[in-house]
Amino acid sequence: MSMNRPDETTLHAWVDGELAPERAAEVAQWLSAHPDEAARAAALQAQCAGLQALHAQVLDEPVPPRLRRALRRPPLQWRWPHALAAGMMLALGLGTGYGLGGAGHDASPPAAGALAQLPVFVREAAAAHAVYVPEQRHPVEVAAQQQAHLVQWLSKRLGVPLKVPTLDAQGFHLVGGRLLPGEAGQARAQFMYQDAAGERVTLYVSVLPQGKTTAAAPTAFQWTRDGSTLGFYWIDGRQGYAVSAALPRERLHVLAEAIYRQLG
Amino acid sequence: MDIDDAAAHIPRLRRYARALVGDAARADDLVQDTLERACQKWALWRPPAAPADQVQAALRGWLLTLMHNLFANQWREAARERTIDWDEAPEPGHDPTPALGLRLDLERALALLAPQAREVLLLVAMEQYSYAETARMLGIPIGTVMSRLARAREQLRRLMEGEAPSRVALKAVK
Repeated sequence: MSMNRPDETTLHAWVDGELAPERAAEVAQWLSAHPDEAARAAALQAQCAGLQALHAQVLDEPVPPRLRRALRRPPLQWRWPHALAAGMMLALGLGTGYGLGGAGHDASPPAAGALAQLPVFVREAAAAHAVYVPEQRHPVEVAAQQQAHLVQWLSKRLGVPLKVPTLDAQGFHLVGGRLLPGEAGQARAQFMYQDAAGERVTLYVSVLPQGKTTAAAPTAFQWTRDGSTLGFYWIDGRQGYAVSAALPRERLHVLAEAIYRQLG
Repeated sequence: MDIDDAAAHIPRLRRYARALVGDAARADDLVQDTLERACQKWALWRPPAAPADQVQAALRGWLLTLMHNLFANQWREAARERTIDWDEAPEPGHDPTPALGLRLDLERALALLAPQAREVLLLVAMEQYSYAETARMLGIPIGTVMSRLARAREQLRRLMEGEAPSRVALKAVK
């Protein structure tokens, strides 16, 4: 029986035992008549053997206790990056896939009316994000070039010293910020960031009214979703922060973590 | 069957993760994340109606799929910062690796492959999964498994033999 030279894919499939027996026999026969190619196939097999032997000692090592413990964790707990875990009590949000309602099941989207249960500032943040992010000509009132003025102005209006986190390391530059009206005529601040692809992220800062945050109120990290826009919000002392963007959760998580670290 | 059955797979997961990420501590971090994810998603795990050994094999495949998802998230983040894209198409003339004629040992050569290439190579060659199973775990077409595998092996061979790689789009050396 004669056959044409097996192509590259066929040779690999032969090495990996992926060919039907007849076809494999044909290839073997062809290789027996072509020593150069047979040597290549042997080299591939040797590489496989090398990979199978790689780190084989790990198989005999005792399993580190932290890995055994990992299986003991309650199924609904989320391990936050250390920076967050340190100071935060955990409350899992809506639409995260690890919601409060579902014994390990991916959570269903927030029920109708769930939005109404969100803190007021989170709803305000979502509205402000939706209004200003698409804005082409006037996305901000004060541009990043006047950052010192921006910070001074908004700090004065909100009545607390504000910090503007930098997200340059995450690929987002500050576009600027604006003053917004909040609940009961209070001042709110929105900072907008943008990446090279034009994707925008907003950070909404509100100072919560006295009495709304009791000492028992946990500083919680929570997710919320509004269409394709994901929000990430938390309360730190008297300030409520909401980070919003139409980004994958992991990516927004990285941004929110960077912001939290810088504000903390 | 419960989550404790996953414990039996930890040694294999550790070895695979070690080969995948290189560093021992980071490998165990990845395994830990995988196990925690498995706890969270345990209710979604559907054991096949099959003999016990096949159920265990399916569980290991499920765990490896979770690990792949976590690992993919990691390198997507990292890719923005410091790696060169892994294009499916060969890319002649673009070679960020030094053509020094250095022979690298298997571990170091493996670390130079693009993460996508390493995953396919390790699942097929180290973990002995079929192309179809590998494709399913990675969520890619079987043809992509085959093409990545062939390229990964060729790159690995060249790196280890100290040949200047010709059409290699490798991860940049840190």
